[in-house]
Amino acid sequence: MQALEWIARGVPHRETYAFLDNGAKKDVRRALLKAVAIPGYQVPYGSREMPLARGWGTGGIQITLSLLLPEDRVKVIDQGCDGSVNAVNIKKFYERVGGVAVTTDVSEATLVQTRHRIPEERMTDRQILVLQVPYPEALREVEPSEAATRRMHAEADYARMWLHLYEDIVRHGEIRISYRYPCTVNGRFIMDPSPIPRWDVPKLHMADTLFLFGAGRERRLYAVPPHTRVEPLEFDDHRFRVEDFSGKSCARCGATEVYLDEILQPDGSSLHFCSDTGHCDKRMS
Amino acid sequence: MDPLLRAHGLTRRFGPGCPACLESTGARAGTNRCPHCGSVWACRDVSLELHREEALGIVGESGSGKSTLVRMLHFDGEPGSGFFELGRIPALEGVPDLYPEGSPWSRNLLSLDRFRQRKVRDAAMGIVYQHPHLGLRMGVSAGGNIAERLLSAGWRSIGEMRGRAADLLERTEIPTERMDEPPRNFSGGMQQRVQIAKALSGDPPLLLLDEVTTGLDLSVQARVLDLVRALREELRLSMVVVSHDLGVIRLLCQRTLVMKNGQVVEAGLTDQILQDPQHAYTQLLVASQLQ
Repeated sequence: MQALEWIARGVPHRETYAFLDNGAKKDVRRALLKAVAIPGYQVPYGSREMPLARGWGTGGIQITLSLLLPEDRVKVIDQGCDGSVNAVNIKKFYERVGGVAVTTDVSEATLVQTRHRIPEERMTDRQILVLQVPYPEALREVEPSEAATRRMHAEADYARMWLHLYEDIVRHGEIRISYRYPCTVNGRFIMDPSPIPRWDVPKLHMADTLFLFGAGRERRLYAVPPHTRVEPLEFDDHRFRVEDFSGKSCARCGATEVYLDEILQPDGSSLHFCSDTGHCDKRMS
Repeated sequence: MDPLLRAHGLTRRFGPGCPACLESTGARAGTNRCPHCGSVWACRDVSLELHREEALGIVGESGSGKSTLVRMLHFDGEPGSGFFELGRIPALEGVPDLYPEGSPWSRNLLSLDRFRQRKVRDAAMGIVYQHPHLGLRMGVSAGGNIAERLLSAGWRSIGEMRGRAADLLERTEIPTERMDEPPRNFSGGMQQRVQIAKALSGDPPLLLLDEVTTGLDLSVQARVLDLVRALREELRLSMVVVSHDLGVIRLLCQRTLVMKNGQVVEAGLTDQILQDPQHAYTQLLVASQLQ
């Protein structure tokens, strides 16, 4: 119920608030309601022109803009990093068109928009995570035709996706998908969780938070409501597993049990750092 | 005799259709294309019945609608019209709302939604096409081709699926060490046998064979037919066998339908039809075959 409340919260009357006109917001919100009602189902919507090229996060931006309220506090992450050019510019954009405050601390944020990572810190039921999605169709790997993938989703005809994994195991001894790992949502649709690493996939399962996925170029959005089953595809004798960072820790904050980036040093050795910079900063302060 | 399948009025038309179609097409008119509107009646008002553990042959020249007929039974392509029902089969008890209360027959399968059609197909049918590339994914390993059927039926253990695939490939005389090779590396006869293995993976009671031996050389034909015969005995299969080769029909089928221009022109016991053909077209077919 809370998920619906969030989306249904009122839109300020001023036509130009948060860049999108009210008609566009209504379109996006209507699509979001449908997406929440059918977890994992890709809802088409009329993706608007943004002051940013399609494929650079326009899907996520439109979702965020359609939900934005002046009292919101927004965090924007680009592959774990709060300080990348893209994240900073999107944040500035929200400050300007929405007059909202920004933060790098997950626990302070009401809305978090992210590209390709889910924050390490567990999010709460008062927060929304908006994920930017380049390719919303999980079945595209095995079927190039959009008409065919829609039919496959409609009929829950997923044997070919499973076959793809079977072939990987037969040929290489394991499943080679490192990001965009396909998941079954609520026991029904196979969903692309956006290019998050495998590390982040379990965070979608039975979470307290509402996850909204937007693909601006492909004009699709979908959702994982709180407390929804999100199960990565796996076999009884070949389980899904996340990246192994055992024995490694962040060279800056010393964190273990987080997703680490490997940074090569001039002498050929390598150091590991937290991919989630907000989390790392918080531990250092 | 315990009936497994019954169908009547099976029709598949390509084109708009017109009032003159009925008179202008069919065996009597000598064409399946209506000269007035250009519609092609690939299959017109065909009825058939198949008993358990029986093999039914369908013969006819190319373009007579026999492949269309068998593909309608397999829910391939555009849906046609007509009635197609299956008797009660344990494998189909799990398909929701398929059998009306107390009825020995299923609902009309042609009017089911595609989801349930696929369930029925996965649980009850296997098909072997004339061209292996229709039935197999040439880029996927032979074992994977078999696994696809199993995955569709909900299998989720790699070890079990590989065991089942190895078992089926062994039965169809494919060396199991070639299980992880794609069928495009195989000869035509081997590809056909992989197709048979795939068709049998879900333990279907009904096997549809669409010109399985056409295009294979004679000694390979004989081996494939021997295999089909042995499997039929062993697995107690019911079969619909489409062929233009009367030899294949004679070898496999107890009963036969003869089709011409989308219609059935003669039906009966295979021996009877081959010994004493009634319809002029059947006479022609038999005469041209036996020389």
